Amino acid sequence: MSLFPPPLTRLPPSFSSKHHFIFKPTLSIRPTNPPLLLSTFKASTDDGGAGVSASAATVVEPKSEQKEPDASESVPVAEENSNGAVAFGGGVKVEVSKFEDPRWISGTWDLKQFEKDGETDWDAVIDAEVRRRKWLEGNPESSSNDDPVVFDTSIIPWWAWMKRFHLPEAELLNGRAAMIGFFMAYLVDSLTGVGVVDQMGNFFCKTLLFVAVVGVLLIRKNEDLETLKTLLEETTFYDRQWQATWQDETSSSPKNE
Amino acid sequence: MTSSVVFKSFTALRHSSVEHPKLIHPHTTPNSPFPYRRFRITASKSSPKLQNRNLRVAVIGGGPAGGAAAETLAKGGIETYLIERKMDNCKPCGGAIPLCMVGEFDLPLDIIDRRVTKMKMISPSNVAVDIGKTLKPHEYIGMVRREVLDAYLRERASENGAKVINGLFLKMDIPTRGNENVKTPYVLHYTEYDGKKGATGEKKTLEVDAVIGADGANSRVAKSIDAGDYEYAIAFQERIKIPNDKMVYYEDLAEMYVGDDVSPDFYGWVFPKCDHVAVGTGTVTHKGDIKKFQAATRNRARDKILGGKIIRVEAHPIPEHPRPRRVLGRVALVGDAAGYVTKCSGEGIYFAAKSGRMCAEAIVEGSENGKKMVDESDLRKYLEKWDKTYWPTYKVLDVLQKVFYRSNPAREAFVEMCADEYVQKMTFDSYLYKKVAPGNPLEDLKLAVNTIGSLVRASALRREMEKLSV
Repeated sequence: MSLFPPPLTRLPPSFSSKHHFIFKPTLSIRPTNPPLLLSTFKASTDDGGAGVSASAATVVEPKSEQKEPDASESVPVAEENSNGAVAFGGGVKVEVSKFEDPRWISGTWDLKQFEKDGETDWDAVIDAEVRRRKWLEGNPESSSNDDPVVFDTSIIPWWAWMKRFHLPEAELLNGRAAMIGFFMAYLVDSLTGVGVVDQMGNFFCKTLLFVAVVGVLLIRKNEDLETLKTLLEETTFYDRQWQATWQDETSSSPKNE
Repeated sequence: MTSSVVFKSFTALRHSSVEHPKLIHPHTTPNSPFPYRRFRITASKSSPKLQNRNLRVAVIGGGPAGGAAAETLAKGGIETYLIERKMDNCKPCGGAIPLCMVGEFDLPLDIIDRRVTKMKMISPSNVAVDIGKTLKPHEYIGMVRREVLDAYLRERASENGAKVINGLFLKMDIPTRGNENVKTPYVLHYTEYDGKKGATGEKKTLEVDAVIGADGANSRVAKSIDAGDYEYAIAFQERIKIPNDKMVYYEDLAEMYVGDDVSPDFYGWVFPKCDHVAVGTGTVTHKGDIKKFQAATRNRARDKILGGKIIRVEAHPIPEHPRPRRVLGRVALVGDAAGYVTKCSGEGIYFAAKSGRMCAEAIVEGSENGKKMVDESDLRKYLEKWDKTYWPTYKVLDVLQKVFYRSNPAREAFVEMCADEYVQKMTFDSYLYKKVAPGNPLEDLKLAVNTIGSLVRASALRREMEKLSV
């Protein structure tokens, strides 16, 4: 199954998606595609002849209506909890409707239809794209060569993104930082008598300021604290898996002394 | 650079291991022909010379890893036994090999059924990006039939002097740890099939000095040495025979579909094979829903595989990371048995063959062409070399998987970035030649900025989408 080169980024960005993937199992996909003639000819796994396969890596054996009894191998039916919705050879005819919108022409948004006062209304373009993606999440479409999707989100100018997404959040975060800053400055002043200007000269106060700024930036929702902890663990997890074999060696050698 | 930072911490761990070998076999010094070398670091030099025979090594498993290992061992003058349970095993596999494998393993060009020079990446919202225009005319991804490749490598091993045994490895008797006598052999118990199909075969034993476990994801050798488990993905594939006019499209093109519908942590694919296509998908976290993902993959490719007939359904496990223990005593694991499959792309054939060869080379070197006994430190040298050479590759692919297979917005960003020529060039260079190629720093910076831009945009759209549903 190998293969295939995914694009390589030399500097993987530290931008971490705050949106945990939540798999919605209620996708309305009709499992049997009417145009395909499904005739399962032979089902086999690569561990057929082994007989005893007690290891944790059990192979999924797809449920098959007609199983050819194999002379040399006994095909073990190691069933996982397979979702019984997929039935081979079914003939349920369901038409999945495609995404339709008068402004979606030949695989991209027709910007001329988004004009407002002589200029393109980028917010409307963003809204339209959001609706399209939402639709597709619920009704995945077949990717077709005759009707390819060529829309690229980078045609929407950077300032449109800024205005819509970055600025409101920036306002929020700056507000938080200002409130924390004012309150802490007041508190420190009342406790130590050091004024705001003198606080800025003190190393400890500068550290506190740094911590406050970083905290406001990184922890935007309550869940972010947990997210950050798991992210940190995640970054080194793979390394630890690789180095496991070396722990083994360094710990066993003293035994031989 | 992220990879070099990580690499440095890894080396630190290995420095301590280099100092220890001199402590491993102090008890052999009385037997050693060179008593004045008592405190030298090279423990294998103090191993006893073998009298009247060559080193015996058994390779369990005759896939790419086993075949490559057996060939190198046999060429190095070692008495090699290759035990394979099914000589005509038609393995469920993508079957893609990088260009460098053809050169490094001297593969004849007729083994390659197809040369893939174009790829299409398709995002969750069906944005399709073509990659491959940066490939030079002689560069391609080779698609092979596993039964052909595996048989060829085994044949070559046998030509070089390895004894190929058609048998099923059952278990092995390991000499006890502790004050072990270096000469105690490993006793392998296996069932030999002598060509009669359906026969249960006869139980046999074989005494060898070292064992290479190349028996794949469900390795029994790994179980014997208590190597521990790994997380694994299930890859599910259907081979579909599509009408000839549709097959023309897949002449030299492979497709990759990403999306939550296709797989929550992997991708769905359509790979061309000799005269049909393989449509499949995989997952680590939601193995129970694999059939649903497969249906979704078929749905996404529906227009292009219309009228196709499923001729075979297959599935297999893919290790996600190496086993906690890859070497114990004089037993080493290679290939899928060790867990050398990359993340993100799930590539394993090349790494299996290469690790088999590297392990065999370490044994040949440590035993001085079969004249001396080997010990654990020689096998550790193979691990060291392997980790050092390929760790950056594995780490980068791991990071890519973590960043880009996380969620639909990440996948959209992923596909958007594939359109960039620099990305395509870097990707193919590192895939085809297995070297994490140093890029142009300015381009790298631009790439980083573009990546962040794509991710931010896609995430912003996603947040809006969530608002829509509420």
